[in-house]
Amino acid sequence: MNVQEYILSGVVESYVLGLSGAEERAEFERMCAAHSEVRAARDAFEQLLEKQLLSQSVAPPGNLKSKIFADIEIANDKMQGKKVVSMRESPALRTGWLRYLAAASVILLIGSTVLNFYFFSQYKIYISKYTDLLASQSQMASVNQSLQTKLQDYEAMLNMMKDTSMAIVSMPATPDAPVVGSRTTVYWNTSTKDVYLLVNNLPKPVPDKQYQLWAIVDGKPVDAGIFEIKDGISLMKMKNIPQAQAFAITLEPKGGSASPTMPIYVFGKVTG
Amino acid sequence: MGITATYTEQELIRALKERDDQAYGYLYDNYSGALYSIILQIVQNTELASDVLQEVFINIWRKIESYDPSRGRLFTWMLNITRNASIDTLRSKSYQNSQKNQGLSENVNINSQVTQTNIDNIGLNKILAKLKPEHRVLIELAYFKGYTHEEIAQIEDIPLGTVKTRIRNALLQLKEYMQ
Repeated sequence: MNVQEYILSGVVESYVLGLSGAEERAEFERMCAAHSEVRAARDAFEQLLEKQLLSQSVAPPGNLKSKIFADIEIANDKMQGKKVVSMRESPALRTGWLRYLAAASVILLIGSTVLNFYFFSQYKIYISKYTDLLASQSQMASVNQSLQTKLQDYEAMLNMMKDTSMAIVSMPATPDAPVVGSRTTVYWNTSTKDVYLLVNNLPKPVPDKQYQLWAIVDGKPVDAGIFEIKDGISLMKMKNIPQAQAFAITLEPKGGSASPTMPIYVFGKVTG
Repeated sequence: MGITATYTEQELIRALKERDDQAYGYLYDNYSGALYSIILQIVQNTELASDVLQEVFINIWRKIESYDPSRGRLFTWMLNITRNASIDTLRSKSYQNSQKNQGLSENVNINSQVTQTNIDNIGLNKILAKLKPEHRVLIELAYFKGYTHEEIAQIEDIPLGTVKTRIRNALLQLKEYMQ
């Protein structure tokens, strides 16, 4: 088929009236691009059709024009509005961003609430632990204090024993002693004349009796004080004795006696 | 009448692409009648035809950027937009409903007969009437009802090749009558 035949085949009219299929349309457009005669034929039919239809015009309803132009104006405003809107896009964007922020803050709030509950329960646990610690700490402090006191006592004792003016009077058991191996020791400060008694071994007396220390001065017993048997090692301060050759202990009725009424349990001479 | 602007095709296209109100006014004043007659021939209902014309002008306004003069004249482009919009309406639900209503009113209203007669005398119908019946029916099915060649072959129970040949011959005949 040559170009002329192609033009006269009816394909031009078919194309212009929109009756061609996709393939036919593509081919026609190729032919138009390649052959000015085809283009001229197309243009001629278009003008003919336009003239024909314009001559057969039917006036649309009179109010339609203003209606259409009102619509176009609205569309135009919208189109121009588009630019304005695009400039105003930042608040919209910000709103979108805020939405994410709000979502994130809600998640954070929930997370924080959960953590709060966790920390609160932990806090309660630690509070009770802390109270326990405080109690044990104060207990330890009091134990420590009593130990400190004891230590000071022992220190004082040791210092006394170390004192060079201290005369040590060892008082072993006599045949009258209730327990074999009974023994006491008197520490007698020869310069201050203070007397301290250390109970090495003496049985506890019956409730209505008390031990009494005697200083033997020139063959006569002088009261040096009554004492109790305590647990632990302790050096008991007795009465001040200016002068003595020996010391003795008897078990007397409670409150002590003016002079010994009972046999001597332990006895020791002051030496040197 | 005030000053009426006249445009060459190129000037008009440029003004339309710049969305010049005056150019659209000119376009409407000069072409709405031709397009409206085609719409009427397709939808055959004045109320619907007004709606379609409105849609067509808004589409022209919206799609003017996509119009390519190398593919044909502005009027041809507008005519194809018009035909497509009309056929879409023809196939739409609102048209089906309006047809039902018209069918009911037709029994009691003689005026609809007058409308029908008027449509027969407008646009391409006048020259379509000159075509041989077997040509005319194919043009009506293809151009005014929007059926594809394959659909027409089925409807008319004739081979596809025959449909194509007859339509082309009918179009050539139509062109003869236009001159």
